[in-house]
Amino acid sequence: MNNLQTTSGRQIKAMLKFFRDLMSQPLSAIGTVIVLFFLFLAIFGTQLAPYPNPNDQSHDVRLEPTINITKLQLGDYPFGTDRLGRDVFSRVILGTSSIFRTAGLGTLIAVIFGTILGLFMGYSGGLIDEILGRIIDAMLALPALLLALVLIGIVQNLDFEPGTWQSSLGDNAVLLVIAILYVPIVARVVRSTTLDIKTREFVEAAIIRGENASYIMFREILPSVIPSLVVEASLRFSYAIFLVASLGFLGFGASPTSPDWGYMVNDNRGGFYALTPWALEYPAMAIALLVIGVNLMSDGIKRIVQKGD
Amino acid sequence: MQDKEKNLLLEVDALNISYKIKGDWIRAVSDFCMELKPGQIYGLVGESGSGKSTIAQALMRYLSANGRIDHGSILNFMGDDLTYANPAQMRSLWTQKIKFVPQNAGAALNPSMKIGKQMTEIVKHALNINGKEAQKLVIEMFNKVQLVDPEKVYERYPHELSGGMQQRVVIAMALITDPELLIMDEPTTGLDVTTEAVILDLVRNLIAERDTGVVYITHNLGVVAQLCERVLVLYAGEVMEDAAVNQLFSQAFHPYTIGLLNSIPRPGITKRDSLLQSIQGSPPSLRERKDACVFVDRCPFVIDKCHDIKPGLEKIADNRLVRCHRWEEIEAGELSFKTEEALTINHELNEQSETIMRVDEIAKHFPVQRSIQNALSGKEPPPIRAVDGINLSIRQGHTLGLVGESGSGKTTLSRVIIGLQERTSGKIELLGMDIRNTVRERSPDVLAKIQMVFQNPQNSLNPYLSVRQTIRRPLMKLRGLSRQEADREVLELLQAVNLRREYAARYPGELSGGEKQRVVIARAFASDPDLIICDEPVSALDVSVQSAVLNLLARLQDENGTSYLFISHDLAVVGYLADYLAVMYLGQLFEVGSAKELFNPPYHPYTEALVSAIPVASPEVRENRILLEGTVPSAQNVPSGCRFHTRCPRKIGAICEDEAPPWLGDGEGHFIRCHIPLDELRELQNPLTTETDSA
Repeated sequence: MNNLQTTSGRQIKAMLKFFRDLMSQPLSAIGTVIVLFFLFLAIFGTQLAPYPNPNDQSHDVRLEPTINITKLQLGDYPFGTDRLGRDVFSRVILGTSSIFRTAGLGTLIAVIFGTILGLFMGYSGGLIDEILGRIIDAMLALPALLLALVLIGIVQNLDFEPGTWQSSLGDNAVLLVIAILYVPIVARVVRSTTLDIKTREFVEAAIIRGENASYIMFREILPSVIPSLVVEASLRFSYAIFLVASLGFLGFGASPTSPDWGYMVNDNRGGFYALTPWALEYPAMAIALLVIGVNLMSDGIKRIVQKGD
Repeated sequence: MQDKEKNLLLEVDALNISYKIKGDWIRAVSDFCMELKPGQIYGLVGESGSGKSTIAQALMRYLSANGRIDHGSILNFMGDDLTYANPAQMRSLWTQKIKFVPQNAGAALNPSMKIGKQMTEIVKHALNINGKEAQKLVIEMFNKVQLVDPEKVYERYPHELSGGMQQRVVIAMALITDPELLIMDEPTTGLDVTTEAVILDLVRNLIAERDTGVVYITHNLGVVAQLCERVLVLYAGEVMEDAAVNQLFSQAFHPYTIGLLNSIPRPGITKRDSLLQSIQGSPPSLRERKDACVFVDRCPFVIDKCHDIKPGLEKIADNRLVRCHRWEEIEAGELSFKTEEALTINHELNEQSETIMRVDEIAKHFPVQRSIQNALSGKEPPPIRAVDGINLSIRQGHTLGLVGESGSGKTTLSRVIIGLQERTSGKIELLGMDIRNTVRERSPDVLAKIQMVFQNPQNSLNPYLSVRQTIRRPLMKLRGLSRQEADREVLELLQAVNLRREYAARYPGELSGGEKQRVVIARAFASDPDLIICDEPVSALDVSVQSAVLNLLARLQDENGTSYLFISHDLAVVGYLADYLAVMYLGQLFEVGSAKELFNPPYHPYTEALVSAIPVASPEVRENRILLEGTVPSAQNVPSGCRFHTRCPRKIGAICEDEAPPWLGDGEGHFIRCHIPLDELRELQNPLTTETDSA
């Protein structure tokens, strides 16, 4: 029991140290703060937004800008309103949770399955590795967005009884697509690290003890893979945000009424841009800021992890 | 005074070097001093972390970006103070007058440039001559460093040369501009003993021809004894002792030097004669150094004064310096090393003990992938015959030493026996049972009986598992103990390998190299094995730690009756621990016998070369070197007849090339595979041991 406590205490200490290292360098500190800020919005969005219902609209305040030029004072709507009279500020805040859920959960699923696949490929080697490797190569040969569009088309056209769990697949098509797209990429990273680690003597010592493959993969090899996995996961997350926004822009995934950043950008371009530029610019800025934040943070993670080696 | 200074090539005094680590300047080398005369080879000996490479870099004024030479240091090179020399001045010195030979020659050469081109570039730049002259000079230099076919080497890329040849090229590169000062940083450490002997010989001869002063950095006292005129012993960034080689090896005055000298296994001395002395503990890290004697925690002669006052570097005789409060007592012989823990090793070989493992005609051939050319012509390329028909047997409680150069197949053989690699043919018997090919096919009982200690302790332990978790696993898995039982047993095993109980909670990152290897040994013993394969278990460790690990292995063997298959390229180490020896070359055995006999003639010409190549840690034994040319041939195209004939210094004629030699036995368990009869061999070979005895 005592042993268990010291182990978890160690992990908490290690995580705190990791966070301190992350905050010790200005750029990665900025990135981390941005990501934490958006994460906060994602969790407490409904409490923070002035209009918790994203589709609250008022015909009286359509096309309201941030700063009322005629009155020369700040308007009631910090980011203005769009052509339907919806508060852009609230919609941007409320959009955070969906992007975190889709991109974050999608990445997480990809990391879990990619790790298992990568460990399996790297550790077994030989023909299995060869065959799976070719399939992965084939998947990576196609542009991600194209593949995503095809996969979404398939998932959304699956005909399931409404109300069953399968039908929720359609609602979470984008999340699923991100997971499918990133599994091979994560698997490749994990595989290459596994190939390196499995030649170490401590793995051979485990083989000599007669340990089975899953023990060796998950107990002996996996811990050494985690550093590079964390770097890859943070990088994948930033790409996932990008992809979710792109798909939203193209009109996939999000329903037209939901406060999706990408869809908001698309919805307010064209003729409406001249009327309500802010309705496009704020969600676009939110996308850019979050992607930059995640990227800076993942650079910081990479720096710490590689220094640790 | 004036005259004396003129004679000095390099004069270093009060040299302090610091590194900036996490914002603080931490002293790595303090108060270093040395005086180097032209033509002198000055040895700098120390363990890893002693600051020897830092000093080399400082002498070159090439410290890494976070390092600095502190104020007040004096670094005179031919009368100029280099401490404040600007980069341009240094660069002009580097092109011609000060040269450096690194440890890893392969990394020092540009892989994308032909050898000759790299060399001529330097010569053209340094000596201001045209390409043709430069080329002539380079080829001449290649001849001097005894590269075979200099014209061909000129046209080759670095990867096409063996390690020994690369090292020669780098030495040629350094000497071609006729430098005044040459700094060599462990130039032979990565090489085989046989190649090392050749390179040392070469360096000695080349330096004797010219007036170059050499600072030779090494951890190997044997190399110092063989090569250097003076030696300086470093510990934790400070000079412990500075003396002429003859003086130092006849009587050392510093406890650290004495400890080092006593901890080296010497050829012909085995564990049954006397145990090695070892220095307890491990060197302090940069931050742990106190304002006391740096050696205080490990010194057997420590007194209160040592904790309170830092000893100064005293000049005790002509040209002799020592940093110790008690050197006078040591000189007078009033202090003597207490023989640590009385070890009861059976002093007699037990010829009656049963054979626990028998290896019968084991072979391991690696198939070579067919090239397109081969596929078209329908030819099958010959396989790599890493192990090609080996017979061995190991008795209970005994150690079989397996020696040979790299590329001789030692490691492959060990991997086949342990079951990490499938064998091509042959039989392995353990305790009378036929054991299967690979680990997967073997029963847990068999697995528990053979364990392994690996070469590199760094990679032998999972960095994310604590010592307790590491040792507990085989106890539970192979001995079937419950968790509580296993945890108790872990503490006992730690005690057996001389580690304190607290170590159970530590992670490998918090252990030193020697401590890690102790944990690895504890893990190997956890399943109560009958046989442990030790693959170069001490070659990655520092000298002062090596002997402690060797003693530990000897003691554990004695207590548990375990047998070892001990693999090493270091004959002195194997000779110390082994009861029987087998000499391997190109996948086959060439000599088998008891360890004692191996250092006495008659021996196989290959063994003879190996034995004579050992850098013996006593300056008197420098004669009778048998230098082997070239490297081990490819195991894909093994030479016909006797596999050793291509390099054999005692080749007798066509018979060696045509016929495989027979096993010759002396009737007492000593076998040699050679065409030359044993009596003739004995006459040809001078006994080496008598020389060591007289020394």
